[in-house]
Amino acid sequence: MKGRTRVLSLLDGRPLDRLPLMPITMMFAADQIGVPYGRYATDHRVLVRGQIETARRFDFDHVSAISDPCREAADLGAAIEYYPDQPPAVVESKALLGEARQLARLECPDPTSAPRMADRIAALSLLRQEVGGDLLIEGWVEGPCALAANLRGINALMLDVVDEPGFVRDLCAFCVELALLFARAQVEAGADLIGIGDAAASLVGPARYEELVFPEEQRLIEGIHALGARTRLHICGRTRRLLRQLARLGTDILDLDWMVPIEEARAACGPEQVLLGNIDPVALLRGGTPAGVREGLGDCHAAAGGRYIVGAGCEVVRDTPLPNLLAMVEYARAHGGRAGPGSHP
Amino acid sequence: MAVLEELREAVLTGDKDRAVEVTRLGLETSIDPQALIDDAMIPAMDEVGRRFEEEEYFVPELLLSARAMKAALELIRPLLADTGASSRGCIVIGTVKGDLHDIGKNLVSAMFEGAGFEVVDLGSDVSPEAFVAAAREKSADLVGLSALLTVTMPSMKSTIEALEAAGLRDRVKVLVGGAPLSTDYAVEIKADAYAPNATAAVRAAQELVGGRAPCR
Repeated sequence: MKGRTRVLSLLDGRPLDRLPLMPITMMFAADQIGVPYGRYATDHRVLVRGQIETARRFDFDHVSAISDPCREAADLGAAIEYYPDQPPAVVESKALLGEARQLARLECPDPTSAPRMADRIAALSLLRQEVGGDLLIEGWVEGPCALAANLRGINALMLDVVDEPGFVRDLCAFCVELALLFARAQVEAGADLIGIGDAAASLVGPARYEELVFPEEQRLIEGIHALGARTRLHICGRTRRLLRQLARLGTDILDLDWMVPIEEARAACGPEQVLLGNIDPVALLRGGTPAGVREGLGDCHAAAGGRYIVGAGCEVVRDTPLPNLLAMVEYARAHGGRAGPGSHP
Repeated sequence: MAVLEELREAVLTGDKDRAVEVTRLGLETSIDPQALIDDAMIPAMDEVGRRFEEEEYFVPELLLSARAMKAALELIRPLLADTGASSRGCIVIGTVKGDLHDIGKNLVSAMFEGAGFEVVDLGSDVSPEAFVAAAREKSADLVGLSALLTVTMPSMKSTIEALEAAGLRDRVKVLVGGAPLSTDYAVEIKADAYAPNATAAVRAAQELVGGRAPCR
């Protein structure tokens, strides 16, 4: 069974031969082809080569255009620091929306011609050309809270959610407008699924998440579904207190960070939700042993039951020992996937 | 409501304007400035930390309380300088070289201040040389190093090595924190302690250096 078919079979409730395997790789993938990360993040041809090599080497079921959280912000005019061998980062001290009123003047660029977004779109076209039909092709957008944080500055945004909730609502709505434009272009270029990274959403707490973030994440997911693509939502950090809300979002895949007990996610989300994850990518996958990785994944799998995808809680980090990652690969290969409900491991 | 109790409540609920107003009132009525810190602000930030740890408070609430506390402290600090009152120790803190992520460091910095430490916050993307210079200049008791990215974690090791090379390591404790870190990594790079969150960082700092002198 090909990787794309395997993942879609799970999502659609059809039989599949083994557990799907969809860990996030970025710097790890660049290292696999011996290229500094700065080039990987800024040249789609390098990213595509890294993704395909990595997926083939480790039998992953997907390839992804994820690279860093700054593509949309960069094309909106935010100050970005580029590094030779690590991901670009937003310069918060020069935040694009240092004044909240500047939002009124912000306009969505055309993703197909804005340089950093167009580079991701080009990656997806090339991935479709190279591995389309074989591996699931994943595009990526920033979620409303993550992009809002990149534009406003995370420290300011965290105060805004209390001081200026109306502004935050407007800002998140703007971010989703751009995310939907970007997602549309990625789907047209070849993405089967759009990953949504909304890291900052884990910081605001359940009440403000419900009020300010949830409606926009939901609108984004519904909009991507309307484009004919699937969704994977990944929120870095502690989302235990958000699980009941995440369950209502309707994302095809809920990708959990390592500190979220997967049994709690299953209990909150019910048997139909596809869960992905979520061993500790640093302490266990990089710092542990193959036996520990197998045991950790066994615990996740048992807690999730069916409708489960193998992966780490976040990015497979640079310098992860190959035997540890291969233990993850072997775990997926050795266990039959179950498309059926996930309540009974 | 008594001034101390009102100030505690204002900090706890993140009401900056009320915190400033009550602090002014307290100072006008000759309440000991140190008592405003010790008997109102520190207990308030202790409670903020507890609520944060229990996930009753989240990042916005913590930042609001920190903002209220800092606004009140601005009124009190000049008076403390006059009386020569001491802090619980001097902490130099920053996000390490190559890392621009600072919200975790800011939370910890605020909690340190709330616990009565004097804090010299160097910001983000701080070089080992800048940590060394600040630790030396301020006679720091503790250096706090933060990193969010696995790729910048080695900068923590470089900073500790720079403190050693400068001959400061015997005098300065090093506390490390950040999402990808662990106790094992802290041991590996010869830090004195690792803290997984802001409240644990305060506890670690109190154990490592509590009761030392203020920054020079």
